[in-house]
Amino acid sequence: MIKSQPTKLIPRNAPALLKSRETNPKPRLLIGNPISTRLEAGIGNCFPGLECDLRNLERRFFPFLEADMPDATIDVISVDIAGAEAAARDGTLGKANLNGYRTLHAGGSWTVEKIKGTFGSLGQQSLTLADLNVTNPTSFGPRRKPIDPWTAVRMLTEGTNVTLVLRKKHTGAAAHRVTLTGKRARYLGDDGALAEMFLPGEMTQSLCSPWTHDFRDCSCLYWASNHPDIAQPPEPGPKHTDRGWDLFVPWERTDRSLDKPPAAATVNGPSDDAIFGHYEINRHWQDLNFVIEGRERLHPYTQQAFNAKPLANEKDLETHLRYAAGVELAVLQEYLAAMYSLKPDEDLSGTLLDNVRAARAELMRIAIGEMRHLRAVNNVLAARIGKRNYRPALGIASALPPVHPGQKQMPVSFQPLTCEAVRRFIEIEAPSESVDGVYAPILATLNQVAREDEIQAIRTVMAEGEDHYLTFTSIQEWLHAFDEKDYLRAPKMSRPPASNRNHRDLQVLYGKLLDTLYEAYSAGLPDGATKLSGARAMMVGDLDPKAKMIADDGFLVVFDVPKDSRFTPINPPSS
Amino acid sequence: MQRIATIAPDPAAPMFHRFRSEGGEHVLIVPYSRVFDLPAEDAAAFDGDAAARDVAVAALARPESGEVSLDDVVAPQPQNISLNVSSSCNLSCSYCYAARGGFEGAQAEPMSWPTAKAAIDALLARADPAAPVTIGFLGGEPFVNRELLHACVHYGAAADRHRGFNIRFSVTTNGTLLRAEDIALLRAHRFAVTISIDGGTDVQDRQRPGAGRNAAGSFARLRRAIEPLLADPGRAQIAARATVTRNDFDLVRRFADIVALGFSEVGFSPLRMGKTAGEALRDEDWPVYLEAIKSVARGEVDRFRAGMPIRLSNLAIALKQIARGACSPYPCGAGGGYFSVAADGRWYACHRAIGRREFEMGDSSGLDSEYRHDFLERRHVHAQQACGTCWARYLCSGACHQEATARTDSGCGFIRGWLDFCLAAYCDLSGPAMTTLPEALETVAL
Repeated sequence: MIKSQPTKLIPRNAPALLKSRETNPKPRLLIGNPISTRLEAGIGNCFPGLECDLRNLERRFFPFLEADMPDATIDVISVDIAGAEAAARDGTLGKANLNGYRTLHAGGSWTVEKIKGTFGSLGQQSLTLADLNVTNPTSFGPRRKPIDPWTAVRMLTEGTNVTLVLRKKHTGAAAHRVTLTGKRARYLGDDGALAEMFLPGEMTQSLCSPWTHDFRDCSCLYWASNHPDIAQPPEPGPKHTDRGWDLFVPWERTDRSLDKPPAAATVNGPSDDAIFGHYEINRHWQDLNFVIEGRERLHPYTQQAFNAKPLANEKDLETHLRYAAGVELAVLQEYLAAMYSLKPDEDLSGTLLDNVRAARAELMRIAIGEMRHLRAVNNVLAARIGKRNYRPALGIASALPPVHPGQKQMPVSFQPLTCEAVRRFIEIEAPSESVDGVYAPILATLNQVAREDEIQAIRTVMAEGEDHYLTFTSIQEWLHAFDEKDYLRAPKMSRPPASNRNHRDLQVLYGKLLDTLYEAYSAGLPDGATKLSGARAMMVGDLDPKAKMIADDGFLVVFDVPKDSRFTPINPPSS
Repeated sequence: MQRIATIAPDPAAPMFHRFRSEGGEHVLIVPYSRVFDLPAEDAAAFDGDAAARDVAVAALARPESGEVSLDDVVAPQPQNISLNVSSSCNLSCSYCYAARGGFEGAQAEPMSWPTAKAAIDALLARADPAAPVTIGFLGGEPFVNRELLHACVHYGAAADRHRGFNIRFSVTTNGTLLRAEDIALLRAHRFAVTISIDGGTDVQDRQRPGAGRNAAGSFARLRRAIEPLLADPGRAQIAARATVTRNDFDLVRRFADIVALGFSEVGFSPLRMGKTAGEALRDEDWPVYLEAIKSVARGEVDRFRAGMPIRLSNLAIALKQIARGACSPYPCGAGGGYFSVAADGRWYACHRAIGRREFEMGDSSGLDSEYRHDFLERRHVHAQQACGTCWARYLCSGACHQEATARTDSGCGFIRGWLDFCLAAYCDLSGPAMTTLPEALETVAL
């Protein structure tokens, strides 16, 4: 019977549907945006947006309200009165608030007059929007105000209480006012997707168009990656002598001739007639040159040859890797000594406070980066020589590589973050120099013998070195306008005397840290994970406070080499 | 996830289960818990020709892409732990599996911060950051050691913020010690809060009296303490959990009493193993209990039809799991993704096993992977002889490891009876929802 008339089974739950779908696939229409348009996949920015205008999040910062934020106001666009009524029915919205929403819904143009709430790191404040000053903001110091209404809303801490005083526009002195309280809305759901209150397409409204006026008006920092303001002009030939060809020039210049070097860019930017105007850019944007490595290119780009020579054998590779690890450990200690030499926040004010905070944060970020490099080098080392033969490389380098090939090696030197120290750090991290030079032969060797992940690990270390280099140039820029004595605890700081108790404590902690790292690296992952995590906690929880105490005593934060053969300093390889 | 072994099922294991709802005939394909409707004329054909049916069922029982083999024994990374933060309790319920947190001497002291921190660090070092991580608090009464509980939550929340983990918390508490600061903490985090409450004043005061000098009933204290939390749970999700002893099967009244306090989720747990004689359910009690919980469930099914949510969590969870086709060779995560850390820092497969050597898996410095693998192999449902011939084996999965020794035909009969009820309820209730899915109209020809 069954053979002549097949049994019909109608799927009822998800795995039954899966079975029927696999047996009988059928195209289906799904409503909603494709996955490539999710917030995290896009370039989100604002004024306007490239792929998502983040201002659209703020339009729904307050429950049941949709707001528009032109330059200096927050205006109510719509009220979700059905939502408010429903919330009142289930008891989550109070009567006073409901009446407020009803008043707003009844008509008229409403604008926010005051916001009271928790503005992130700026703390609890009550702001009158008319008092916010975009052109002359108080941009630093505690209790500073956000610079404009949108920034204020942007800073409101999710889930905290917000009180709005709204005023009916065009009603004169005896203006009609409504006060609402609610929580700053959550923009994302628990699964990380946009909250349900946002409508499809809402994030992608108010986008800019790269081929129109925005392309001219929005400077390089605005565009994702493909719009420099300035670039070196196309090279006339490899042996040019006129330095003008190496200077940076406006990329959107109207004078496209290449008979002589174009006029160099200036700090103040080009004059309006030196670059394409609004209508010209519409017609000429395709004439702009591609820029690779900072230079405009008229011809297909050929990558520079990688000149480093591979090392002779695996033994040499091990020696170089051990030294590289030692160099990471040495430079990170130099950076930390410099970082702790900066004055604490409470002794600073104004722009300098902001600049020092930025410098300190960046130095810490770089130091953490060097720790990651130390681990990456150790991972490669373990992979190359096998877990059985592997001993973690945790000895500090006895000397740093020379700044330029052929010069003398540099002694490891701990000093405050003086101008001279910053220059030294820039040289250490400069591409193709110093530290980069240590890795070049390692990479050349790995290119021949190693697995792709080992090669990529070293390439990443080298690439991040370039980021460190650029960051140090920024730090130089932030601090150079000030006197060293204004931001350093003292321009000359010495190592603590042996009698300094905090220094002695720090060395004990440092010994323990190296010990923990040694065990963690030896065990590898996942077995060493707990120890590794413990080492991280030790750095943040124990070493950092101790180092601050030493700095407060007025001394440099330095780490002594423990008397332990596992951590003996590493000399530079002889070859 | 590491596959450590495979265990073949009993060749005689039933591959399908026929059941009936108000709307008609259905079949559950046991592996992967696929539910199909059988139109009346096809039901007769299905039941009539065993040979043809077995071929069809075998095809439906095979895994599709994305479905893992049910024969696999896998050792997932620890993803959830519970911390037994306290070793004592202010109540003294006679049936307590933890002997008020002391576990008969196995857990004499409360947990210390270094022990708790080491456990959380060990969890985070191993857990998959892309999946949610849960840190639970048990005891004893966890809020006896509130400082530690608060410290752990702040520590975990910092990991959530700074290290990219998605951390959730859970706590099982008698609720009587909650203070304003505890409630603020629960509201501020993604907490699954389970309040142990057995019923109204009479049941609660009888089954859950205070301890020591404060031996009075706990109902009034509990009501006072949890009122503000129920009124505004913040980000927390609050559920009541009621233990049922053989002394009182009036679940309808107990359910109503608990709901009246403001709970929107209430679950019942029958006592299978009691410390005091006369409390645990006996063979003759299971049919009575089944009818009692079905009475509550029928009321909730009617409510759901009227557009209101289901408050009986036993039913709500079962329906959700049937809908997504829950199916596992393990009844819980014990020893797999879940561990319970005793106050002394030892990791056990489960919070009910504190102090029991056969469930000890290691400590925060590492797990005894060989023993753990052995445990996971032993506890796989294919290794449970009694489960081999049961159609509910991937839904019940052998039930609680701790209670396996108390397993009886009558107790298993209750589980099958309850699942039958839930399967039928699912088919009846999913009707209108299914019409919104075009796939529901697709059929598969056998």
